[in-house]
Amino acid sequence: MLLAAFTSSGPREVSPDATLLSRLLKKDVSAFEQLYDRHARLVYGLVLRILQQASTSEEVVQDVFLQLWRSADRYDSSRGPFVPWLCTMARNRALDHLRLKSERQRRREDMPDELPFAVVAPEYEKALDEKRRAERVRALLASLAPQQKKAIELAYFEGLSHSEIAATLKEPLGTVKSWIRNGLLRLKERLQATT
Amino acid sequence: MRDCAQFRELLEAYALGTLDSEERSALEAHLATDCPDCSKAVEEARWLVSQLAYAAPEAAPSDILKGRLMQTVRAEAQSQAKPHVMPVKSAIPLWLWAGVAALLVFSIYSAWNARRLENEIRQANERAAVLAAEGQKIEAQLADAKRAATIMMDPTSHKIALWGEHAHPETLEAKWHSQLGVCIMGDKVPMPGANHVLQLWFIPKKEGAKPMPSAMVRPDPSGKLMLYVSAPPETMDDTKAIAITEEPAGGSGWPTTPILWSGNVS
Repeated sequence: MLLAAFTSSGPREVSPDATLLSRLLKKDVSAFEQLYDRHARLVYGLVLRILQQASTSEEVVQDVFLQLWRSADRYDSSRGPFVPWLCTMARNRALDHLRLKSERQRRREDMPDELPFAVVAPEYEKALDEKRRAERVRALLASLAPQQKKAIELAYFEGLSHSEIAATLKEPLGTVKSWIRNGLLRLKERLQATT
Repeated sequence: MRDCAQFRELLEAYALGTLDSEERSALEAHLATDCPDCSKAVEEARWLVSQLAYAAPEAAPSDILKGRLMQTVRAEAQSQAKPHVMPVKSAIPLWLWAGVAALLVFSIYSAWNARRLENEIRQANERAAVLAAEGQKIEAQLADAKRAATIMMDPTSHKIALWGEHAHPETLEAKWHSQLGVCIMGDKVPMPGANHVLQLWFIPKKEGAKPMPSAMVRPDPSGKLMLYVSAPPETMDDTKAIAITEEPAGGSGWPTTPILWSGNVS
């Protein structure tokens, strides 16, 4: 599976993550440590943003990376880049904790599986490094109207549905749907624009 | 009925997880038809949504977390790296091990059995020794009985009448054979007291000589008595009389009770 990471887009430079993941499959502790060092801040920042509590967030991050260590073979590099897959797994785990904490009774099927689906990155994805990508995403959200930004944050960081967001913001359901979709499409344009 | 274009409008919300159940079910039913364009589009939507992770402020987890994580990972790596301990294949075939085991078991059994047999033999020997002793005793008793009978029957034996003293009307008959010894027989002899026996005394002719203690006997329950002395302490010529007293079990060195029966030898 990992071979696809080197060849799926034709001749291109092999990503450090792909190399490390191939070593991780052989239970290379050093490769795991390097992957952790590369992505722990992003993953921890995301989980902490969702859970708002450092100790619980560290537990979730530990679970995520241990799952990566133990089940690295379940990542299919042919179907998408590593970091979005890792972030999706971290988000799902964190939202699970959040749901338990708030005792919301939303069905598990409302969210992607614990091991995330494939995320196919468009070509422009490769042109951005982590730092620039983060800048673009934050800049895009900062440019949105506060309510629209809030709607997207409630959806992504708190796992609320359209209806719950509408109720929280006291806005019409259709408006909320439109805000979220338009915001994501603008994000997509912003990322494309970087090429 | 929605078409692909309409479903596409739901993909971002689907990837985000915000669709309500009705819309989500409809979209998933469509995706289940293997619509290639929509399937690819939903994966791209997931990627787009995942980019929102960068909206979270970066934060550094504690060094403790990394330490804990690496400790766990190293431990698991070491445990997995340990070569699977395969049982060492012995150069000795299994059947031989089985034979050795059987031999060992047999040896243990044999040792145990030998010890058991040894004990049984020792016990049998002890029983045989007891029986032999009893046999010898019986033989001796039989020999004494034969000699006593001979003494009593032999016309050369010297007859001695033993008269009862102190209201013992029974008369005991004694015979002294110069070579075989003295034999005394009686019937309906009163039983001595508990832990007492009847003891025979030889009274020498020599002036002032003490009575010589001799054999002891208890009559059988019917009162029959037989006493045999193969080697009297004195010869018949040097013996004045014989007498019987009742003495404590084990006998006495000197008569402690009055004479029950007595008779002159000469």
